[in-house]
Amino acid sequence: MSNYVKRFSAFDRVVHWVLAVAFFVLLFSGLALFAHTFFNYFDFFGGPQQGILAHKIAGIFFLITSVLLFFTQIKDTCRFDADDAKWFGAFGGYLSRSKIDIPQGKFNAGQKLYAIFAIIAATVLGLTGYVIWDPTAMERGLTQWSLMLHGLFFVLIIVGAVIHIYLATIGNPGTAEGMLWGRVRRVWAKKHASKWYKEVTGDSD
Amino acid sequence: MARKAFMIDSSRCTACRSCQVACKQWNKLPADAAINWGSYENPPSLTAHLYNKIEFIEKEQDGKFKWLFLNQRCLHCGEAGCLKVCPSTGALFRTEEGLIGFNKDKCISCKYCVNGCPFDVPRYDAQGKITKCHGCIDRVAAGLQPACVKACPTGSLKFGDRDKLISEAELTGLKLYGDKALSGLGAMYLLEEKPQEYRLAENPNIPQSIFLWKDVIKPLGILGFWGAIGAVMLHYVTVGPKRPDEDDSSNQNQGGEKHE
Repeated sequence: MSNYVKRFSAFDRVVHWVLAVAFFVLLFSGLALFAHTFFNYFDFFGGPQQGILAHKIAGIFFLITSVLLFFTQIKDTCRFDADDAKWFGAFGGYLSRSKIDIPQGKFNAGQKLYAIFAIIAATVLGLTGYVIWDPTAMERGLTQWSLMLHGLFFVLIIVGAVIHIYLATIGNPGTAEGMLWGRVRRVWAKKHASKWYKEVTGDSD
Repeated sequence: MARKAFMIDSSRCTACRSCQVACKQWNKLPADAAINWGSYENPPSLTAHLYNKIEFIEKEQDGKFKWLFLNQRCLHCGEAGCLKVCPSTGALFRTEEGLIGFNKDKCISCKYCVNGCPFDVPRYDAQGKITKCHGCIDRVAAGLQPACVKACPTGSLKFGDRDKLISEAELTGLKLYGDKALSGLGAMYLLEEKPQEYRLAENPNIPQSIFLWKDVIKPLGILGFWGAIGAVMLHYVTVGPKRPDEDDSSNQNQGGEKHE
């Protein structure tokens, strides 16, 4: 019996990593526009105009991959049950070293919440990004509020990304394997997603 | 150096538009085609080639027609929305006289200043670079009057020591606009009517959205990022990672340390 369980298809993984690359292109070009401290990040792109162009192109990739990722995972991310309520009640067990045993589906309640947050953030950033594509093309008030919202969701998504990256790597060893190679270890699946594990393997233990 | 400013006495303006012409001459700006839109006011709005402009505001008073004339331009705010949002240091800058100039070579065409301005003044030229009234900083640095002031035949436009202009203005009995707003405007108006009659905001301010963006969200972003980094580091060394159950030791690739 293989020690591994298949978790993400090659398509899921490629979409996720295109999204991740787009995110970092957006991050560095966006930071250069956001604060004087980071203005020199434009040098990575060959100059400010090129940096802004890169931001726009990466934005299109980011929006498309965000939508793809959300809709391909939607059946596992948008339904919450009683176990999820328990999971939230215990903060996912992240506040203590003692083991908790709350059965979870393919994604735990926190991951579901992050998926929903991510699609909302991507949508808001995409829509406001469209408005400020040319900041003199549309009505001034609309453009000004779009600049503000774009900044707000940028800040929120940065905080989200820090937590996401931590929890998916060193915070939960073994998790990243799923997104890198498509499979996770059985022990990982039993610990983190026992309902999903039973569902895909038929194992009852 | 004491702050310098424009004082624009609307009651003395005859709308001769010498200021518009002198500005174009000094700044080597081409003419914009006038359009027929039912007003002498032309062009209808500031353009990339038009740094100042007379507004022709038509009023009816006691059954008689009346014009209000107002010289529209960059007001060189003490607290300037354009400077607040400009990402490229030096593209917009304040001179030691307190005027706000621009450097097209440093402008990155982001157009943030257009949206940061409380008075909708900055314009972009065909090359995508910022333009606006810069107060003839080159002339002022050489001890000359700005071109528009030099050309004004009625004394409607004045330029000089800001405090002195304000104390002189107080003697006229007209309404002084902009002495306090936005940490003091660098171009103030003397008005016969309420500011609203001149299409001016009574209490001009940095747009609320822009204030939230740069003065609230940005500092919260710094706090949020480092807060999140701090929180995950703290979590890693206190609670620690959640490792899969270790009964399956043949698949451990996490090194020697064990929890639980």
